[in-house]
Formats: sequence, C-alpha cells, structure tokens
Amino acid sequence: MLTHLNPSPLPPARVVILGARGFIARELAAALRAASIEVQAISSQEIDLSEPSAAGRLQSLLRADDAVVMTSALTPDKGKDTATLMKNLRMAEQVALALAARPTGHFVYISSDAVYDWRQPLISEETAPSATDLYSLMHIAREQILTAAAAAAKVPCCILRPCAIYGAGDSHNGYGPNRFIRSALADGKIRLFGAGDETRDHVFIGDVVAVLALALGHRSTGVLNAVSGASISFGELARRVAGLVGPTDKPVAIESAPRSGPVTHRHFDPTALLRSFPLHRPTSLEFGLQKTWREMTIGR
Amino acid sequence: MIGFAGLSHLGLNYSLATAAKGFDVVAFDPDRELVERLRAGNFPIEEPGFAELHGQHRLRLHYTADPADLKMCALVFYSLDVRTNERNEADLAPLRALIDGTADTLAPQAIVVVLSQLRPGSARELAARLAARPEVEISAFYCQVETLIFGAAVQRAMEPERFIIGASDPSQPLPAPYRRWLEAFGGPILVMRYESAELAKIAINFFLVSSVSTTNTLAEVCEAIGADWKEIAPALRLDRRIGPHAYLSPGLGIAGGNLERDLVTVQGLAAVHGTEAGLVAAWQRNSTWRRDWVLRKVHREFLDQASDPLLAMWGLAYKADTHSTKNSPALELLRGLRGLRVRAHDPVAKIELSEFPSVAIGATPLEAADGADALLVMTPWKIYSGISPDEAKSRMRGRLVLDPWGALDGAAWRAAGFTYHRLGC
Repeated sequence: MLTHLNPSPLPPARVVILGARGFIARELAAALRAASIEVQAISSQEIDLSEPSAAGRLQSLLRADDAVVMTSALTPDKGKDTATLMKNLRMAEQVALALAARPTGHFVYISSDAVYDWRQPLISEETAPSATDLYSLMHIAREQILTAAAAAAKVPCCILRPCAIYGAGDSHNGYGPNRFIRSALADGKIRLFGAGDETRDHVFIGDVVAVLALALGHRSTGVLNAVSGASISFGELARRVAGLVGPTDKPVAIESAPRSGPVTHRHFDPTALLRSFPLHRPTSLEFGLQKTWREMTIGR
Repeated sequence: MIGFAGLSHLGLNYSLATAAKGFDVVAFDPDRELVERLRAGNFPIEEPGFAELHGQHRLRLHYTADPADLKMCALVFYSLDVRTNERNEADLAPLRALIDGTADTLAPQAIVVVLSQLRPGSARELAARLAARPEVEISAFYCQVETLIFGAAVQRAMEPERFIIGASDPSQPLPAPYRRWLEAFGGPILVMRYESAELAKIAINFFLVSSVSTTNTLAEVCEAIGADWKEIAPALRLDRRIGPHAYLSPGLGIAGGNLERDLVTVQGLAAVHGTEAGLVAAWQRNSTWRRDWVLRKVHREFLDQASDPLLAMWGLAYKADTHSTKNSPALELLRGLRGLRVRAHDPVAKIELSEFPSVAIGATPLEAADGADALLVMTPWKIYSGISPDEAKSRMRGRLVLDPWGALDGAAWRAAGFTYHRLGC
C-alpha cells in the first residue's frame, strides 16, 4: 500500500529515467512526453551506473524538484552469476551516492516480483521478500540500499514490483505472452511445458506505465506490486493467443515439451493496488494480447 | 443494592439486566452529560432491548455522576469497556483511572468485580493496586469474563451460558451477595484463578476466530469451484465435534475490535514468553484478505469497465443491530473506493462525511439505490431483506448486486434480472 504525498496528482517538474533503453523506460518516457511532462532519459551509454564515476556525473544532472525513476538493471539474460550481481549492486550504490549528494523530490525504484519466493502461491506486499537466487537477492539488496539512501537524504521513495510484463516492445522472450505471440507469428506454433498447467499473473506494459505515472503524480511512497490481479494458466494463455489468428490465417498449433520442474502457481493480491489507485482501470488480458499481437504483426 | 461503575456498553447492559432481575442498581459514570441522557432513557448505543428494560425497570435504576453513591452497594462491578487503539491493543488506562478515582468511596467490606475486558495479568495487578491503598477496605476482588455480543447483549446477559469468574483463591466460596446476584441469572458458575479466567475469554474468542477463518477459507474455495457453503454448513452442524451452534457463516473477516484485540494480546504474550503463535498471523492475513472481497469483486465484475459509476451501499455498521463502525468492512471499502461516487444508507450507524468526500447519504435504502450502477450490501440489516428486487430494479441503472452475507433473497434478485453474488457460492 502506498502513501500519497500529493493527495491529488500533480505533474512532476521533470522525470529523470535511468536505464533509458529498457522496455519500461521507453514506454514511460513516451507516456510522460505525451502528457507534456519533461523527461530526461539517461541510458548506460551516457552514464554507465556500474562505473565509480557514475554518481558524480549523475548528481551533476539532478535538480531538487526531479523525480528519478531507476529502471536500470542487468536482467538474468545478461548473466546470473556473482559478477552480474555485483555489477547490479554497484549501480544501486552509485545512484544512492548521487541521491545523498543531490536529494531530489521523489525517487522510484523498479524492482521485481522476483523478490518473492516462487513457491508462495498468493502474494501481497505483506509477503516477506525471500532470495531464491542471485537475481532476487540483487533486487532485495537494491531495495534496501536505495530505501536507506532515500530515507537518509529525505527523498520520498517508492518501490514498484511488477510481475511478468508483456507488450510488443519487450525484447525479452520469457515464457509467456510475448514468446507465445512471437512464436505463433513466426512458426505458427506455441510450445508449452507439459500441458501448461502453471498459473501466473501477466501485467500489460501500459498498466505498469499507468501505475508509474500515478505514483509519480501522487509522489507516492511505500511498496506496491504492479500486477493484474488475475492469474491464468500458460495452457489457457496459449489457447487465447492461438485464438487471435485471423480467419484466413493458418491455425496456430499448441505443442507440448517435457516439463523440467513441478507445477507451481502464483497469484497476486491486487488489493493494495486497488486501494492506492481506485480510479486506475487495468487493461483486460484480451485487449492486452490483441494490442501486443497487432503491434508485433506491424513490426514484422 | 448493586453498583456499576463505568456506563459504556457493558455497564449499561448489566445495570439494566440487574434491575430486570429485581435488584436495586446504582449506575455511576463520571460523565454528567451521559448520566442526564440515561436518566431520560436516551441511550447513546443502539442495542435491542435497552429501551424496553429501561422503561420497565427505571424505578430500580439510580443513574448518578457522584461516586459517593457507590457507598450504598455491597457489590460493585467495574464495567467500563476497554478500548483498543488502531493496532488493536487494549488500553487499560481509563479503567485504572476509574478504579483509582472511586475505590475510596466504596463501602468497607464491599465486594469488587471487574467486568471489563482484561488482558492476562491485569486482574492480579488491579487487586494488588487496591490492596496497596490502606484507605480502601474492600473484602474481595474478582474478575468476571463477559462475552458481550453487539446486538444480542441483553439476551446473553439475561440468559447466560455460564459465568466465568477469576478469583485470588478459587477454592474459597464466593461471598453471599455475589452468589445471590449470580444465582438470580442462573447458569453454571465456574470459578478459577485470575489468569485462567482472563485467558478463558481469549480462548473463547480464539475458537470463534478459528471457526470464522476456517469457514472463510473454505467458503472462498466454494466460490472458486462452484460449491455452495450454505449446503455444506448443515452437514458440519450435525457433526458432534463441531456442533449445532458452531460459527459457520462466512463473513468479511473479523471485525468489531474484540477478536482482533485478543489476537494481538496473544501475539504479545507469545513474543514475551517465546511460545509459537504463527497461527495468529495466518488468521489476521486471512481476515484482511476476506475483508477486501467486495473491493476486489466490484473491480473485477464492474469497475474495470465502468466510467464515473455510482455505487449504492446498504449498511455501514460492522454488523446488524449495532451502531458501531469499529473495524467495519463498509468503512474500509469506502476508503478503498475513495474518489468514486457512493450513496450509502444505514438505519443507525453514522459516518464522518468529511472523511469521505465522495460519499452521500440516502435517507432510505431505495433513495440510496437511485440511479446506482451496482448495489453493495455491507451490513445485513433485516430491513434490507424486505426490499423488493423489482422496486430496486426500477430505481437502479445497473444490475450488479454484491451481498456478502446473503441478506437478500439471492434467487429472487437473480430472477429479477440482477447479477447477484454472495460469499461462499
């Protein structure tokens, strides 16, 4: 549950987005610019946050009334080893140093639902984070580093933990909507592990951006899971994606590959999201999949 | 003459019940304004039976703001309800202040009984506190466990299931004035050490919470798989290990404050003494989750597609037949719906509208439903069950009804064209 420092939303003077080339950052920057909000998007090419000089370079760019959104992270596809963990932590350290030297008006850290033990079937913000691998450990440690730094610098801090995000612009090809749509479009088939019995929550990128924009407008503090609140099995998801094919197109085949692990389920309690932003209207899975399919088709 | 000191719900209830059993009663409270209201039969609490008992037995009731009047009483009950803070922790300070401020006015050899809700250890502490004052010459100090239920308080006082009494030495017989008072009500008398009596109250509430939580957990599974809890509950009542009076109605978590207070009390005791009480946190989690059933449901079924909707809410009190909104699911829902237009009705309970700027109050249930897109029945007041679904249909714009407790006749509302949901189905 978030606490809003602005009971009614006000546009931030400027939003500084760290990790500008990432999926969330690009979509957020576009949405904010469309709302005539000044955006300073900083990519790793401009400031490599893992370098010791990053804090100094970053603080020289920051203004006291900025809202800073940190999306930068090396995701598991870039490495799952200790070196990647340490590089990710150095990035948080540099941002923490910059905040200490140049406190801003608001700070938002984009964490992940990876902070929760994947064996938890129903998760809320009250669920205690639990590291199950180096990636989850990284986000838990970063949350602690950045929350402490923000508190010391008296910067209102918001932690957002999105579950699996889908949308056309996502370059990751994780097991779920994006991979299913790409594979259906490219090969006319979707490959499930087993019968795809596992249930997961998939949140549309537009909803993550909408929640971020609300948190920025309200200068919210606290922790919030950015989720849809409605889980679906991968099998059902594959059938819905297959159902998006046009009447004249070749039907999409759903295939099964051997499963390597046990069937697990994950649901999110959306109550804190509903309470934090009662007027937020999440995108239905049907619409989100259609939009993603359409945009991926155009992009081909 | 029987004395009562502290005229909140508990004190009012037992002073009236005592008068109804034929005793003369001195009912004391330091709040002069309250005493004037009570003399006029104007009760600050909605409780079925209060007005009738007062009307029938007012000649035996002496309401007073003068503690010296307690000197006439051989038996004095301290009957101030113990309030809880926002963390559901009990605050005994007002009770201590009341006892401290009146003890020296009691008759020598008076018998003192604390009816207030005590946490374990408090009775012995209060007894020692009085014993340390040489000017206080009471003959005995007891605590008596009360399981007052809002809306059924009078009936439970007049026909008690049992008396649970905490004593410094349970092997000693109860003094005659106290025994006469107890026997006037009937029911088994269980005398035990202070700590056992205090924990007995918590034990009763824990078993209630476990029933509520078990019911709510399984009722939700019913909703998911197409079963109906109303069909299952009778089978449980016929099981001797569960019983015909078991608490098997699904609800929106635990509300009212007393059960939550006892959960927090035991968590505190477990923390101090190193006992395992992880179950309590699970109950609390389950309670919060079920409390928000309507919020999640109204978003999923309706709000996610609606623009500028108007919601009708029937009921604000935490349960029927009470004015109390303490931990009320209705108020929690209003907080969760802030910014959305709501028109609410409750026959008794009031809310501070400045806290809920987008909420309006309807003078009648149907006025609250006028033009509404959805109807949320948040307190199962009887008057709502008598409202015709056809009449509601003619007043409402939408057709969604969320009736967690099943206050309405679901079949009739469905037949009238409403999409109707209740807990456990």
